[in-house]
Amino acid sequence: MTSLEEKASRPAILAMKYHPFYKGKIQIALKCPVTSYDDFAIWYTPGVAEPCKAIQKNVDLVFEYTNRANTVAIITDGTRILGLGDIGPEAGLPVMEGKALLFKYLGGIDAFPIALATKDAEKIIEIVKALEPSFGGINLEDIEKPKCFYILERLRQEMRIPVWHDDQQGTATVTVAAFINAVKYVGKRISDVIVTLIGAGAANIAIARLLIAYGVPPGNLRLVDSKGVLHAERDDIDKLQFQDRWKYEMALKTNKDRVVGGIPEALKGADVCIAMSKPGPGVIKKEWVTAMADNSIVFACANPIPEIWPWEAKEAGAKIVATGRSDFPNQVNNSLGFPGIFRGALDVRAYTITDEMCLAAAVELARVAEEKGLSEEYILPTMEDWEVYPREATVVAMKAIEQGVARIKKSRDEVYEEAYRKIKAARDQTKLLMEKGFIPPPPE
Amino acid sequence: MVSVQDIEIRDAKPEDINYIVELVIRLKRLNEEFDPLFKTRDDIAIHTKKYIESALGSDDSVILVAERKGKVIGVVKADIVDRIFYEPRIEGRIKELYVLPEFRRKELGKRLVEAVIERLKNKVDMITAEFPTLNEIAVRFYNTLGFRCIMSNYAIEARE
Repeated sequence: MTSLEEKASRPAILAMKYHPFYKGKIQIALKCPVTSYDDFAIWYTPGVAEPCKAIQKNVDLVFEYTNRANTVAIITDGTRILGLGDIGPEAGLPVMEGKALLFKYLGGIDAFPIALATKDAEKIIEIVKALEPSFGGINLEDIEKPKCFYILERLRQEMRIPVWHDDQQGTATVTVAAFINAVKYVGKRISDVIVTLIGAGAANIAIARLLIAYGVPPGNLRLVDSKGVLHAERDDIDKLQFQDRWKYEMALKTNKDRVVGGIPEALKGADVCIAMSKPGPGVIKKEWVTAMADNSIVFACANPIPEIWPWEAKEAGAKIVATGRSDFPNQVNNSLGFPGIFRGALDVRAYTITDEMCLAAAVELARVAEEKGLSEEYILPTMEDWEVYPREATVVAMKAIEQGVARIKKSRDEVYEEAYRKIKAARDQTKLLMEKGFIPPPPE
Repeated sequence: MVSVQDIEIRDAKPEDINYIVELVIRLKRLNEEFDPLFKTRDDIAIHTKKYIESALGSDDSVILVAERKGKVIGVVKADIVDRIFYEPRIEGRIKELYVLPEFRRKELGKRLVEAVIERLKNKVDMITAEFPTLNEIAVRFYNTLGFRCIMSNYAIEARE
C-alpha cells in the first residue's frame, strides 16, 4: 500500500473504531436552567400550559416559546446514500447523524436525523408535511433522482418552512461560488464562457439552473449524461419529458451550438468543465482537457476519486482544478454552504430558501475567498475560515427579507451578530464537553 | 429564439414524406415509455413510410404539417371514420400528433389540432384523438382543448 492509499483508507478504519465507541454523534442538551425540581413546574406542567395557550392564539409564537426556530429535520429514505446507492434507511442513519453534527458545529443548528421506511414519493411528501409544526426547516438528504426533484418541488410549494435538498441547492451554491472565482481568476466573462457539465444528475441540473440565474446564457451550457450531450433533438428527448422533466427542460434550452457526441465533443473548446458524474480516474481523459479553451477550469467532483486526477488536468493545460476532496486544493465542499444558509433562513424565520438566496450565499462565499486573495489553489474558503458561515447567514437573511419570504425583519448587523454568537456557542459548547470529559477522548 | 411567426401550418405535400416519417417514428418510440406492448418494430421505418404515403393519397385522411424555414417540425394526421352504430355518424379521428421538442410550448400542438378541425369541419360531425392511456401530457392537452374521454382500450398478453 502506498502512503497516499494508506492515508486515504485511514478515515474508514477510524470510523469503525469510533462509531461503536461513541454510539452516536449527537445528543439532546438542555437550553434552560434546572436548579431544583421546582423548576419543572415552569418548564413542564402546570406552568408550560401558559405558553401553550399563547401559541394557540398566535401560532407564530411557537418560534418564540420553543426551540422550533433553531431546528431542522434531516429526512432520508435511504435510496441514495453517499455513492453507495439504495442501502436502506437504517444504513443511512450514520450519514444523517454526521449531517446533524455539521449542522450543529458549523451552523449552531439542532438537526434531527429522520430515516423513513418508505420509498414512495407521495408518502414521503405526506410525512414531511405532517412534520411541519415541529421544525424550522427541512433538509432532504440522499434521496434518489428523479424522485428528489419531485419531492423538493412539491414540498417547497406546499410547506411554509424552508425545504432544502443539499445534493441540489447545496452543491449548486458552493460550486457556483467556485465557478465565480475561477472565471474571475482566469479573466473571462460570465456571459462568454462555455460550460460543460458532465453528469446530469441532481447536482448538475441544479448547478445549471443557478448558473443561468447568475447570468451564464443557457445556450452556453452543455450537459452530458450517460447517453452523450443533451440537445433538443436527441432521440430520447421525448421519453425524458416523462422520465425526468428537469433534465428535459435543460435539454431544450442548453447547447445552442448543437454539439453532439460524448464527453470529448462536449469539452472541445469549452472554458469550464463541471464534472459531477462517476468516480475516476479516466472518466475525463487528459487529451480532452487539452482540447478545451485556453486557461480552462476543471471541477472534477466525483467521490472518492475525481473524474480526472488534479495533476493530470493541470498537465493537460487546466489553469484551475477543483475536486470534492479535502486532501487536494480547492475542495468543493457542501459543508461550506448549508450551515450558513440555514442559519440565515432560520434567524429570519424564512418560509423558503429561494434560488436567489442560494445565489446570494454563493456570491458571498466567493467574496470571502477573494478578500483573502485568490490563487490557482484558493478559489473557495475552507471550513476553517469559519467567518464564512455568519457572513453567508447574513446575506441569505437579507435576501429573504428583500424577497418578502421572511417572517421577521432584522438589520444586517443583528443577523450577523446573532449568527456569529450561535455558531460560536456551538463550537465552545463542544469544546467544553470535551474538556469536562462528557465527550471522552477517542479510543487508542 | 424561435419565432412563432416563422411557423406555417399547411397541407402535407409528397416531398414532406421523409420529415413526416421521422416525426411519426419519434412519436411511436415515445409510446414505448407507456407500455411494453408499444415496443416499436425493427422495420418501423418502411411501414411508416407506406402508411403516410397511402394517407397522402386518400380522401379519408388529412395530414397537416407545421413548417419552419423549409423544415417540417410538427405533424397532425386525422382519419375520417364512419360510425356504423352511433349518431352522430362521421368521426374525424386524430391518429398522430407530434411537435419537435424544441418547438413546444408555442401552442403549435393546439394550432395543428385547430387546423385539422377546421379542415374537417364540413366533412365530420365530431373529432376524437387516440393516444396511450398513460400519456398524461396528451391527457392534459386534450382536456384543455375541451375533449373528454369516451373510450378505453385495455390489453393483456395472449402468450407467455
